[in-house]
Amino acid sequence: MNGILLAMILALLIPIYEAWQDEDIWQKMLAFASIATKTSIMILVVSVLRDDWMIGLVGVLILSVGNAALMLLAHIIRRLNEA
Amino acid sequence: MIDIFSYGLMVLGVIFWFWGTLPLLGHRSVLFKLHSLSVADTLGSMSIVVGLLLKIPSEWPLLVLALICLAIWNTVLGYVLAYCSSTGGEDA
Amino acid sequence: MLENLDVVAIAALLPLTACMLVTQVDPYHALIIRGILGAVAALVYALFGAADVALTEALVGTMLSITLYAIAVRSSMSLRLGTLATAAPNLDAAVPSALGQQLFPALRQAIKKHHLRLEVLPYASPQALQFALENKEIHAVCVPAEQLATTQGTDDVAAPYLLNVRIPRLYETLAAALPPELVAVSFSRALRLTSAAPPPPDSQLQNALEG
Repeated sequence: MNGILLAMILALLIPIYEAWQDEDIWQKMLAFASIATKTSIMILVVSVLRDDWMIGLVGVLILSVGNAALMLLAHIIRRLNEA
Repeated sequence: MIDIFSYGLMVLGVIFWFWGTLPLLGHRSVLFKLHSLSVADTLGSMSIVVGLLLKIPSEWPLLVLALICLAIWNTVLGYVLAYCSSTGGEDA
Repeated sequence: MLENLDVVAIAALLPLTACMLVTQVDPYHALIIRGILGAVAALVYALFGAADVALTEALVGTMLSITLYAIAVRSSMSLRLGTLATAAPNLDAAVPSALGQQLFPALRQAIKKHHLRLEVLPYASPQALQFALENKEIHAVCVPAEQLATTQGTDDVAAPYLLNVRIPRLYETLAAALPPELVAVSFSRALRLTSAAPPPPDSQLQNALEG
């Protein structure tokens, strides 16, 4: 189980590096979307690992709400490039 | 038996994650990266959640909710990101 | 220590993303990195068992603060440029004028390096434009050169337009970046303009209403 978590951290490092080195704002948004999904899945894994129902609930909430923030931000950035 | 199956699903999910995320590093267009990211990443995440569901079946409402959220939100997000990046980014 | 390797590795992600955040130059890129930092912070808080803190970080720290800051950055990082409504009838170049064709793209290019946005506000009469500049409603004024009343020593320049900037730092930036044959950049806090043609009565009425 710990090995799976470590592999997940490695997979999480790829979009973090991508967000750091790429200058295009949409590539950064893609990396952000990837990181938002990956971190909430990792929260779910940690909750099952520890058998903690409350952390799992928080993970599901973050999974559903973090994407909504991403969509709002995408629309604001699009309006910004138009004006 | 079920334990091995759930571990197998989780390892498969992590492999899907790497498969979907590694194209992010190349110099391809946003839409190409979005395609691989949305397909492979969502499949990988769903397979990990199914693996967790097999491991702890007592928390099934929570994990089924996570599955549904993942499927719907990531699809919608893929459409929204593609729409926003292709209409707004050209005339900057 | 080795069995806590995953905890240490996840906790190390937090200072990593924080260092990425403080090295960003563009404010919008910094906002996206702030979102990544919020997601990683929620993961770290959940890992240490603080479910309520993680939920607050995701809802308020990531979603609400990013949205509010995006709107705040969008409305504050802009150069408000006042023009005469007769000189630039439409921003979208319905009438092909030199203002819309050459000057605005050059100006956008010049301020884009400093992550600013151009916002053009047309005014009905020179008096309204003067009033807006003196009351700090706009940052700069762009008028045709023949509408300048006083002899400020700019009449030896053959530029068709005059760009008067109210802010010293902005003046230095624009004077270095804009081509001198296109526009003459000047710096003063108030401007004296003459109306080339007598303004129509409705704009006079609008002036009186604006006070």
